[in-house]
Amino acid sequence: MIKVDKNLCLGCFSCSNVCPNQNIVREETEDKRSIHWKKCKEECDLCVEFCPGKALSLVPFDPACEEPTLTFDLVACKICGARYATEPMLRRIEASLPRELQKDSTGLAWIWVCPVCRRKIEAERATKQMVLGRSRANP
Amino acid sequence: MPVYVDISRCIGCRSCEVACKRVHGGKGHVNVHMAGDRASVPIFCHHCEEATCTMACFSGALYKDGERTAFAVEKCTGCGLCRLACPFGVVWTDKLAHKCDLCQGRETPTCVVTCPANALSTDFEAASKRARTRAALVAAYGGRV
Ligand code: SF4
Ligand code: SF4
Ligand code: SF4
Ligand code: SF4
Repeated sequence: MIKVDKNLCLGCFSCSNVCPNQNIVREETEDKRSIHWKKCKEECDLCVEFCPGKALSLVPFDPACEEPTLTFDLVACKICGARYATEPMLRRIEASLPRELQKDSTGLAWIWVCPVCRRKIEAERATKQMVLGRSRANP
Repeated sequence: MPVYVDISRCIGCRSCEVACKRVHGGKGHVNVHMAGDRASVPIFCHHCEEATCTMACFSGALYKDGERTAFAVEKCTGCGLCRLACPFGVVWTDKLAHKCDLCQGRETPTCVVTCPANALSTDFEAASKRARTRAALVAAYGGRV
């Protein structure tokens, strides 16, 4: 049976993706995601092995034990407000990158901006650079 | 050899986007953005030297292979950390991650071959030389060349 450490789970769905038996059920709405671990009797530890948060462990089967569910509010993009990630996932990104890479050249903390806005910002930056290049060439 | 863009040449036709999708089983890795009426910009992986996506990937599925930021799909668990760790928003995850692989196995990336406007190139020197030449011509004769 699977045991979950609620303080370590990132809400990333990796465990649910790798489970061959649909024992880890995911649900996502516009602003929340939740994960439900069914009582698993399989001799398998794929989810334990592939959890980036090391939140899972195997414990002896106990029919009296409740099936755990975790729900995460999704973080809103600083720019457009769209919900795009769980907070523990974003904190984990912060922890895995060197500080100097966490801000872009304008000082924006891009980790807290959704991928759609990140692409828009990049397009704007490239356009400005081109326009600037043109006006330099042809003042 | 990442793909370089000369956006002053891009006509916003989205051919690269469609062609990328075609050769990657319907999942494309190029997004052409319209920056108002000023420009159109194809957005895709820069194959960063300090690739933050590889730093965030816990399974080793994303890694640097020379200049390329490579992806070993068989190691990916679809955790989605890379999608959140790319500053340019050019890794996608739906069950598994996908991103630009520079069309591994093909001689030239499909977007480069496809672009009718010659806006994409794998040759940084040529791309920047062309931009410099054009800038010089513009300075000499004025207007867009
Ligand atoms: S893989 Fe680990 S961190 Fe991710 S949702 Fe499952 S338990 Fe949580
Ligand atoms: S996916 Fe993003 S972070 Fe990774 S190499 Fe490409 S542009 Fe850089
Ligand atoms: S989704 Fe796959 S490639 Fe991306 S960080 Fe997770 S394991 Fe690595
Ligand atoms: S194919 Fe070329 S011209 Fe068309 S959108 Fe892509 S880069 Fe621009």
